[in-house]
This record gives sequence, structure tokens and C-alpha cells, in this order.
Amino acid sequence: MNTGESFLRKFVTAFVLLILLGLIPDPDDYAAAGQYWDFPKLPPPHMYGNVLINRLSEKNGVKPVFFSHWSHRSKYTCRVCHFELDFEFEVNKTEITEEDNRNGIFCGTCHNGKEAFGHTPKNCDKCHTGTVDLDKAKFYDLAIKVPRGFFGNKIDWGKAIRYEVIKPIYSIFHREEQPLAFRKRLELKAEWNYVPPAVFPHQAHTQWLDCANCHPDIFNIRKKTTKNFAMQYILDRKFCGVCHLKVAFPLDDCTGCHPAMSRKKRR
Amino acid sequence: MINRRLLFCGVFMVAGLFLITFLVNAQAFGVKKKRPKLHEYGNVVINNFSEKAKMSPVVFKHWLHRSKYTCRLCHIDIGFAMQAGGTGMTEADNQAGMYCGACHNGGEAFGPQEMSSNGASIPTCDRCHSYGKDVEFKYDFYTFRKNLPVERFGNGIDWLKAEEQNLVTLKDYLPGVSIKRSKIQEPKELDLSAKEPNMPDIIFSHKKHTVWSGCELCHPEIFTVKKDAQPFSMQEIFAGKYCGFCHGTVAFPNIDCQRCHTKVVI
Repeated sequence: MNTGESFLRKFVTAFVLLILLGLIPDPDDYAAAGQYWDFPKLPPPHMYGNVLINRLSEKNGVKPVFFSHWSHRSKYTCRVCHFELDFEFEVNKTEITEEDNRNGIFCGTCHNGKEAFGHTPKNCDKCHTGTVDLDKAKFYDLAIKVPRGFFGNKIDWGKAIRYEVIKPIYSIFHREEQPLAFRKRLELKAEWNYVPPAVFPHQAHTQWLDCANCHPDIFNIRKKTTKNFAMQYILDRKFCGVCHLKVAFPLDDCTGCHPAMSRKKRR
Repeated sequence: MINRRLLFCGVFMVAGLFLITFLVNAQAFGVKKKRPKLHEYGNVVINNFSEKAKMSPVVFKHWLHRSKYTCRLCHIDIGFAMQAGGTGMTEADNQAGMYCGACHNGGEAFGPQEMSSNGASIPTCDRCHSYGKDVEFKYDFYTFRKNLPVERFGNGIDWLKAEEQNLVTLKDYLPGVSIKRSKIQEPKELDLSAKEPNMPDIIFSHKKHTVWSGCELCHPEIFTVKKDAQPFSMQEIFAGKYCGFCHGTVAFPNIDCQRCHTKVVI
């Protein structure tokens, strides 16, 4: 009885240890993070960031709205829509109505026949397309002109704006407005051993975004006070994952944030 | 047996609690918070006694009132608190000519009853006790906004410009309620240095604020009158203190960084 019990105990301990050993990850695994994490499947480059908005469309008997991030971000910064016009960072969450657009808010702020094509019966089909697989030729017309990236749209949008290949408008309310000269580069310690720190350059973000796009809702403004800031939540479309899963370069690009991460040198 | 049942209950309750905290947490962090729509910004639901008295709660629209009156008139002269539900006025108060009743008496603004064209009196309860009801209002926000200078955020209206260009005329004196005040020369612009390096300094304009708020709305309760006697942080402002009393609820929200942090750092 005694020997049987101690054998069982040893067996259980060994089993637990084995499982724990299995949990200690091999650092090389991180390099191929796409295999480790359950990332959303990437669409072809011309469809990355394309969105189908169907909060009310089909209920009202019209086709859902096609919105492409790439075509809009080449002319306007993220800030214009997501900060000044208060579009949410989640599909179908912004309470856009046909009436709102006609009242000159949301899409209707620009799509009024002056800044961009108007919200008129003639133009319904331009947005209410019901599909996101559109404008492939137009996309590649743009893609050949701008610096190449590795994931997502396979466009390095950061370089594109830095080298002024594209000049997206920073504000539609105050055309003279410039990004704040806040250039602090943060080094964020990773939560796991073996993972080199993430680097966060404010400047690369403020070219596109406003302070308030991230602060204080997503990230607190006081250092080290943002709770639950961990990779698992980022994958759950929180924190960096708000943008870096579907529109900004996707998380598949580990070295994009963890530059010291070991991976074969990028082309 | 009872013990096992108790244990079961306990496990279920704990699991339930975990689930609830998980669901609450799932929403509470790492994402953008929802902002009100332009016509909802500054709207306040007052329900101190309404539902207890079987009435719909009151929906108060700041945008409509601030297009005709200064902030000071209600928040100082009439004595409204700065938090929704903080005043705790009653129907009797209003009928005695206090709070809402100071204007909503059939004189300055509509009273509890209105005369129709054929001389019958119609109760106007619904026009204020409108929460959850489909009331047709006299003023439509988006029609009203069309004639005003557009601004991002809040109501989507540049209220300061609207006032400067006389597109809105603000009453600052209510006979029988306000006292006659002589004009005080407002202090100069204040230069508030930001703590964070690289953040532009804040230029605070007394002039722009006194048009709406006088001195009394801020001093001495929210801000002391002695300069630099009271350090405050952005963190506290975001939490609704100091500037955050108005900026974030009624005045343009404090997400519009560049509107206060205006002094270029060289």
C-alpha cells in the first residue's frame, strides 16, 4: 500500500514536472510567432484592412458598406476619422445612420460632394457594394509607388509618410495643425524571459494618430499604470491589438515591435 | 448531503463571480471608450425623484441652454450643482420659482402649462420629463448646428466662435435672481507649464472663460486664487477634477490636447 502510494506520488510529480517543462518555451519558437500564436488569417494585401459595415444596411434592404483602409489612409491620417470624426475601432460599433451622413457627420463629413463624392442616390453603389474584394488594380497602382512592407498590405506605411511619398491630411478641421513634437521612445520590458523588450516610438505613431486615440482610454498617461498590458490581451484586440491586427502592420511581424528578436535578417 | 449541496452552491457562486468579473473586465480596459454623439454631448439625465414619483426622468440639454444663457447664470445665480443629480431639486422647488422654475415659469421660458391657440391649457410635462419617450421637440439639434461654426468634438460646435460672432446671444442676468455686477477686468492669459518634457505648455485664457463662467464658477472652489498654490495633473483632469469638471462633460472634451497645449516648445 505504502510503496504503491509513493510510486503514485512520484509518478504524479514527474508528470507535473514534465508538463511544466513543456510549458517552458524554446526561445526559437518566438521567432516564428505566427505559428505559436493564434493570429487571424491574413487576407491578400489588397484586402488587408478592408471592412464590411453592416450594422443597419441589410436590415434596411441595402447592401453592406465596403470601406477600405488603404485608400483612405493614403489621403487622410487615422486621426481624421478615428479622432476627429469619432469612428470606433471596431466594425459595426460606430452608430452611423443614413441620416447622420446626410447631417454631415461620420462618412458624410467628407462624402458631401465637396471633399469627396457625395451621399447622393447616384453614388449608393460606390459604398454599398456588399463585398470587400474590390479595387485590386487601384491598390497595386498605389503599392508600386510606396515603400514595400512585409505583412498586411505589404506596404511600409510608416516609411511612406516619413519620406513623404504619401501626404495624408492631418486634420480636416484645422488644416494648419501639426503633430505634437512628442518624440519619447519607450522601451517596454516583455512579460516573458527570452523575449527582448518592445520598443515604442511615439513619433512614428503621432504622424498618424492623436494622443487621445490611445490616451487615456487604451493606455494610461502615467507610466506603468496601464493594467493588464500583456500579449494575451493584445491578441484579444485590446491595447496595440486595437490597430495592429487588422489595419496597422499585423502582429505576425514580431520584429516590428521587438526589434532585437532573433529572426533571419529581413530582406 | 446538505454539506455537499452547500459546496455545490458555493462552487457555482464562485464560478459565477469569476464569470461576471471576467465579463466586466473583458470590456473595461485596453479599448477606446464610447463617446456620446454630437447631439447627446452634455445631455444630462436627472432622476433624483422622477421615477419615484412615477414620472420619466428629466433630460437636460446643455447645448440648447448654453445657446441662450451663460453657464454662470444657472450654476452660480440659480445655484445648480456641477454634477448630474447633484442639485436634488424637487417639483415643489420648481413651482416655487427656484432652479428650473426660475425661468420655466411661463415668462422667461415655458412653464408647466402652455396655452394652445384655442385657449385650452396643455401640460408641458413631457418636454422635460422626456427620458425614454418619443417627444417632438421645438428645436432640432442638427438643424440648429447647421448655422453655427463647426468644430470637432463635443457638440461639434465652436461655441466660442459662435459667441464672438454673435451667432448666439447669451443672457447673463435674470431679473429677480441675479445681482447687478460691475465688470471686472479679467486677468491676463496664464502660462501653465506642462510637467512632461516635450509637451507644449498650456495657455489659459481668462477672457475666453469669463464670458461664460465669470470668476465664481472656478474660484475659489475648483481652483484657488493664489497662483501656483495648487499643483494638478492631467491624470486628475481626466478623472473629472479641475478643468475636467466642464471639459469632458459639457465644454470641449479634454481629448482635444492641442486646444490647451498650444504653446510651441522650441
